[in-house]
Amino acid sequence: MTGLTVLYDPVCGLCQRAHGWLADQPKLVELNFVPCDSEEARRRYPHLDHALTKKDLTVVSDQGAVYFGPKAWVMVLWALVRYRDWSYRLSSPELLPTTRRVVSLITQNRYQISRVAGL
Amino acid sequence: MTIGITTYLIYLAISIALTIWVAQTLHKNGRVFLVDVFHGNEPLADSVNHLLVVGFYLINLGYVSLALKLGYEVRTAQEGIEALSGKVGMVLVVLGGMHFFNLFIFSRMRRRSSVHHGPPPVTPDAFTAVQEG
Repeated sequence: MTGLTVLYDPVCGLCQRAHGWLADQPKLVELNFVPCDSEEARRRYPHLDHALTKKDLTVVSDQGAVYFGPKAWVMVLWALVRYRDWSYRLSSPELLPTTRRVVSLITQNRYQISRVAGL
Repeated sequence: MTIGITTYLIYLAISIALTIWVAQTLHKNGRVFLVDVFHGNEPLADSVNHLLVVGFYLINLGYVSLALKLGYEVRTAQEGIEALSGKVGMVLVVLGGMHFFNLFIFSRMRRRSSVHHGPPPVTPDAFTAVQEG
């Protein structure tokens, strides 16, 4: 795997902040950022359910492997030099349920979090 | 030569000999780890190994030197041996601590480097066609 495309929500401040942070991190796998449900996203992935990508963070590999929600978060961490070991930790059977809960909590409340944090 | 000075000299001899022995053990056996960490890049492994050993020497000899002063007078041979035992014991504990710290660094470097070649941690949820360009 040489690259991952991150379909992020361009409307949410938290996601934009995360995008900026990720762009600065040293990477083991290249990350491309494409706004979800955009022209570009539809052109690249004509068969993907784009309504679904608006609900949850989606990551697509160069080979077309699709990761939704918590798995997408873990894959993004896996791409980073400093956080690859965390991707293994968070996706271990003991921690995966917690990872899922925390990720869905953040995802569902991302607009409120952005508003409260002033992003 | 008073018993006090003899105690100091024996302390220095034992501490320095121990430091050299541990450092050499580390140098000899740490190399294999480092060559593995740096994927067979031997000059780099040797260089890092040497730098680690220099740090090890500096910290340990620094400690040995700082801990030399007894702070009380040694009058009999028995007191000398007791003082010596206490001082050398502390040096051994510090050496042991440093040694395990070094091992920890080696193993962490090794894990870090192996993690960089690991497969994705999760399986994909689906597959989709990718339109290139």
